Amino acid sequence: MRLWDWSVPPHGVHREVLSSVPQGWEDEPRATRTPPLLFIHGLAHGAWCFAEHWLAAAAQKGFPAYAVSLRGHGGSGGSQQRRRTLMRHYVHDVMQTITELPQPPVLVGHSMGAIIAQLVADRYSPRALVLLTPAPLQGAGVTMAELARKRPLAAVKVVAGGTLPMGSGQLFTGLEEATAEKYVSRLVPESPWVQYELLRRRRIGPVRAPVMVAGTKADRLVRIADVERTAAAYGVEPVWLTRVDGSPLGHDVMLDDGQDRALDAVLEFVSARAM
Amino acid sequence: MTISPDSWAVIGAGPHGLSALKALLERGIPAHGFERDTDLGGNWNYHAENSRVYESTHLISTKPFTQFPDFPMPDSYPDYPSHWQVHEYFSSYARHFGLMDHLSVNSEVVRCQPIGADAADGWDVTVRDRETGAEQTHRFAGVVVANGHNWWPKMPEYPGQESFTGEIRHSAQYKGADVLRGKRVLVVGAGNTGCDIAVESAQNAKNTLHSTRRGYYYNPKYAFGRPSDQTADLLLALRLPLALRRVLFKTTLRLTVGDFTKFGLAKPDHEFFETHPIINQQLVYYVGHGDIAPKPDIDHFDGDAVHFTDGTSAEVDLVVFATGYLAHFPFLDDAWLNPEGDHPVLARQIFTPAFDSLVVSGLIQPDSGQWTIAHWQGMLIAAYADARRHDPAGAQRFYDRMIAEVDQRFTGGADYKDSTRHYYEIAHQEYLRALESDLSALESVPA
Repeated sequence: MRLWDWSVPPHGVHREVLSSVPQGWEDEPRATRTPPLLFIHGLAHGAWCFAEHWLAAAAQKGFPAYAVSLRGHGGSGGSQQRRRTLMRHYVHDVMQTITELPQPPVLVGHSMGAIIAQLVADRYSPRALVLLTPAPLQGAGVTMAELARKRPLAAVKVVAGGTLPMGSGQLFTGLEEATAEKYVSRLVPESPWVQYELLRRRRIGPVRAPVMVAGTKADRLVRIADVERTAAAYGVEPVWLTRVDGSPLGHDVMLDDGQDRALDAVLEFVSARAM
Repeated sequence: MTISPDSWAVIGAGPHGLSALKALLERGIPAHGFERDTDLGGNWNYHAENSRVYESTHLISTKPFTQFPDFPMPDSYPDYPSHWQVHEYFSSYARHFGLMDHLSVNSEVVRCQPIGADAADGWDVTVRDRETGAEQTHRFAGVVVANGHNWWPKMPEYPGQESFTGEIRHSAQYKGADVLRGKRVLVVGAGNTGCDIAVESAQNAKNTLHSTRRGYYYNPKYAFGRPSDQTADLLLALRLPLALRRVLFKTTLRLTVGDFTKFGLAKPDHEFFETHPIINQQLVYYVGHGDIAPKPDIDHFDGDAVHFTDGTSAEVDLVVFATGYLAHFPFLDDAWLNPEGDHPVLARQIFTPAFDSLVVSGLIQPDSGQWTIAHWQGMLIAAYADARRHDPAGAQRFYDRMIAEVDQRFTGGADYKDSTRHYYEIAHQEYLRALESDLSALESVPA
């Protein structure tokens, strides 16, 4: 029962969808070709974070790759209504993007995007579901309490409706300062309501698609225990993303040094479980 | 075409057939659909022989509840899409989910024959190729009937009707306003089709009479800038009781449209929500302009004149009977779904006491949009078919419980006026809640 979607439906806004599709993919028989990947970004990010490395790299390996900017982010419209935006508006944006894809995609959600991917999977059966450094479906209350202890000023700001302050220290463990700062400067303000919604516990129906849950041991935004709980909810073992030398990536696994190995882990899962 | 005997057959490729086919395939249950026309869409495939949409048909409910929840209509569509857009929408749904590989068009199901006692060995489904006339029979494990209930005309009979000198046609044969131009027209029936045609007649005919058995509530498509069905869902979301919703709706109608009787329309003889809602903003407007003259029920025909029950009469060139449709299953024995002869007997509008492997989708008339319900009916059917494979005993218990509740209706507390069109009437949220709990009962069956 989605009473609010029926009675006060989200209005559409312009949507930015970045993509990279292998040549000739459309002409292959639908039953045997690689499924498309749809990347969903997290808090304050945009489709650009996947366009930086992953879209082209995935296409190079034969996977048509798409990334959508949720309203108010990246090149999508709706930033004027940011302070009235709810999580279900983001779900609407992803559903609209899905209907434009030639076949059901693998949903790859990062951080808050992992929550959105799961809310989408509650109503739509994707080819597979990949949750990267996922924000906890059980609610981010403990995360918030930790934030209040370690970064009290940041916590006060979030409570007051400001965007969670994220610096290069929270997002990356292996980037040069200049590159890291370049990415951080692209972050945009987030809807306060969406941030509040992250505190809320969510229940979703049974997901029949194969699920992958991946985190990093050096994540300073999503707790290791929460990644483990998310994985346990789907009855899978979490995958811990590392560099060749075994050091863990930071929260933004699509941008941090070692992102190529993180993508390989995703594609390996898709090849094994969703083909 | 090879069909494995554990497949399910889906008859009809309208919204309910497509969503049932999708739900079955998505769950890994082999399934194959049959559509008698050259294209999918059912009623919404304007060019099909049995399509009853006309040139100007638009949805009378808005996108949010009307669309499939897992495949929303594009943002570029208006609140109330046209039948052309609806057909395009179904086509992209079928493309996205790859249904065309599992659907035979031009394939008319002429007979479903149960094999073994209570169809224990499945169903032989005989399909006629509409191009060559060749017939083929395939064995299926189960059958989903989704051939629609808005295509087989229900024709009334009045004294003198057969010697009426004007033209009589059913709205089933109405595709556009051309046939009305310059004529003296009588439209019979105040369903949504009757009201649509009365309005088109007001715009095109010489004059228009509109005969209805009773007074109705003519709801606007928009009130206070909001689509009416979304307001109805908002009041339900706020959990307002029926009595209060009635007061609010009647007050809104009075404030936005006014007192129907001042337009010369009959006063409604029933409470709000007791008949299927009419959504028509223009009818009252044309009554006010004298372009539609409201009339009571027909008493009899006499030559080129029609006499009404209030003693008045009028000469008429064309009578359009917008008197609705009956459910019709030419490929099944009448006794199976329709043992009492005048309406199908189904539990949850889906399961028949006759066979546990014959299910129906789409035999509903919700007080809302429809395809959200089509989606969940399909999901329930697929979960049931799945349970039959993995846990036959559990599936049997579920089926027995459904059949035990065969008399349960989903009226939202209203007392529907008795008329054939209300056999399928359901209060959409109450009905969906029932499907939701049935589905979780089935999902808890261990795989």
